[in-house]
Amino acid sequence: MKNLPRTLAAVGFAIAVLLGAWQGARVRHLRESERFYRWILAQATRSKLFAGDIDESDQQRLDVALYEEIAQTAEPALPDVAVGDDDVDAAGKPFSKLTLAARDDQYSSLVFELASGNLLAEQRQKFLQYSKEKKISSVGSELDPNTMYAEGANVSLGNIFFGLRQVAANFVWLRVDKYWHQGMEQRMIPLMRLCTSLDPTFVDAFLLGAWHLSYNMTAKMPDTPEPLKEWNEKYQARIGDKELYYYIAIDFLKDGIKKNPRNYKLYFDLGYAIYNIKMHDYENAVTYLKEAVRYPHEVWVPRMLNISLEEGGWYEKALTGWQEFLKRNPGNLTAPRFIVRNKARIKEKQASEAAQRAKAAEDPAVAKAEKAEAEKLRDEAIKIYESMNEGGEDPFAVARIMKIKAERLIENGLYLEAAALLQNARWKSPDSWDEFTDMMIQAKIDGGVPLDLSEKKYVLRKEEAQKYNQAANKQKPAPVQ
Amino acid sequence: MSEVASFFRGTWTIALYTWREGMRKKIIVAFLILSILSIVGSFFLTAFLSQTTGSGMEVDMQAKQIKDIGVAVISIFGVLITIFISASVVPNEVENKVVYTVLSKPVRRFQYLLGKFTGAQLIIILNLVIMGGLFFIAVYMKENIMPTLLLWSVLLTYFEFLIVSAFTFALSCAATSAVLPTIGGLFIYVTGNLTEYLKDVSERAGQTELWLDKMTGQISKALFYILPNLQNFSLRHQIIHLAPNDPPRDILLPNLIVYGLSFALAGYLISYVVFFRKEL
Repeated sequence: MKNLPRTLAAVGFAIAVLLGAWQGARVRHLRESERFYRWILAQATRSKLFAGDIDESDQQRLDVALYEEIAQTAEPALPDVAVGDDDVDAAGKPFSKLTLAARDDQYSSLVFELASGNLLAEQRQKFLQYSKEKKISSVGSELDPNTMYAEGANVSLGNIFFGLRQVAANFVWLRVDKYWHQGMEQRMIPLMRLCTSLDPTFVDAFLLGAWHLSYNMTAKMPDTPEPLKEWNEKYQARIGDKELYYYIAIDFLKDGIKKNPRNYKLYFDLGYAIYNIKMHDYENAVTYLKEAVRYPHEVWVPRMLNISLEEGGWYEKALTGWQEFLKRNPGNLTAPRFIVRNKARIKEKQASEAAQRAKAAEDPAVAKAEKAEAEKLRDEAIKIYESMNEGGEDPFAVARIMKIKAERLIENGLYLEAAALLQNARWKSPDSWDEFTDMMIQAKIDGGVPLDLSEKKYVLRKEEAQKYNQAANKQKPAPVQ
Repeated sequence: MSEVASFFRGTWTIALYTWREGMRKKIIVAFLILSILSIVGSFFLTAFLSQTTGSGMEVDMQAKQIKDIGVAVISIFGVLITIFISASVVPNEVENKVVYTVLSKPVRRFQYLLGKFTGAQLIIILNLVIMGGLFFIAVYMKENIMPTLLLWSVLLTYFEFLIVSAFTFALSCAATSAVLPTIGGLFIYVTGNLTEYLKDVSERAGQTELWLDKMTGQISKALFYILPNLQNFSLRHQIIHLAPNDPPRDILLPNLIVYGLSFALAGYLISYVVFFRKEL
């Protein structure tokens, strides 16, 4: 009887330890499921956005195969998810239900239920096994820079720093900042990678790292002359030293996206800061900006998407985008101007198409009708542009009007006058500099007007680039059907 | 009914006394001041880090760094306060012989121990509230939004400390001075964070046919399942950067609280068995 409290305490201790061990097993299962869930989210993004990226490693192959197996197994358990225009792969086949659901915040709970449930138990075990064997990517952290995503061993950085690796990453970033202010850019690169290895959720490090790579490191570098560029198998492009930094920055941001697939900032900077501003690759810019607006974002993100659509020549989509933007943000001062501007650009585009048709038409009656149509559309475009000047001169609208007038002059054989007008228009709207330069030089060539030295150089460079790009295109593998 | 009320009244009196005595300890106040200075200092350390990327987007590194440093500071100083308090509340009374006076009164050992443990928890909670509150204000000042996820982070930190505290308290019940349990507490914290190694050992063991190798593997495996793994609470770091809607976090939180409570109960019951046997 005297020992009863002690016995009871001992029994209670055993029960508490067993309860703790049981709960520990549950927590372990949840943490493994969490890793699996985050990997599914990352893989869903990769399968949609980075499917074309070349990665020869075994890891990539196992990632894709396992994800396809998971998507197939999960298919019956998922509801029908709305398929958007862009939710199809290169072959036009819609993405799997899992890919669509994993990218939609409202299905997060369902995807996690699947990741932690019995239906995907076999695949979860495979994922854990492959992770351990470093045959698959993960969204965790790893010291080994060659396998940045893999959490190969059970003992990760988390254990080494007692969960304080985020702080370690912050202190490493202070050093990166110091090097930046000292102008030692080359020393920053390994440290930036270390930061993101230590803390894969360090989105700011990905953003600023990519900015340093694509803007600051290349600030003093001249564009690589075409003959000095080399074919890069990985990026499937001819690039020089300067351009390589852009691609490294792209890789860096893509790495951030794989680890933080629901952060709009990464998509935004990749789409706008690099693809649009630096590379003028509007197709990719629009792809990533569209992805950015899928997630909670700032008000200026759809604005930049619409601007990129316009710059890429998709005026109808840009117009729809601006109209929707204005509906969501009534009273916005920018949208009405861009709505008008895109309406005019649509007319301009239609006029150019009609003029092309008139040029190609064999029947003089058809040619005449098309020419009249082009003229009518040009007049409409000019009228719209003039309306933009009502509240004060809009340099863009003025330059576009000059461009339309130049087109008319060219059609009437007044090449020198057209070139002079375009020369003037270039300075009015530097945004259209390249477009107007091309037109001006073509007008001079067509009219037999001699080119000046810089224009000759410009033409030669373009021809050279064309020649090399044709040769490079032959090196590209045929697209998969 | 009055006996139950008297039991809890007595326990509460001891807890309050322990709390008052603990808060007078200079080392605890020193840790608290250091932690406050570190949280405030993080503002200066990370100043001028905001930059604008190529797209014109402002990237504010300071908010992230303040959060990370805040969580780390609370973890480091919080665990030190936890260990020092849990290791000293009983041995100090044994050294001062106060325990003999208390136990000579109509106070049961269980009651005394519960009061001491509760008092220690009150000190830990108060310190966490002060540090967490300051951290909360710092982040609010920086971001101008209520950082509610921080509260969950601080709550998880407490349940991690609860496990460390319970086992350190058990050690202190067997010791006559606070030195050994303090070292033991630090050891518990370090090893608790390295429990994952046991799994690694168990998976690597058994590669030879030697019985010792196999046995090592079996023991490691058993210990891995039985011992508390404090790395599970690393969610407290993750939590502050996660999106508002994150299903794994929402499910893990209550499970970790139950996990913390289970092992804390186990630790407390060891202390009771040890203290019950103690010749006083």
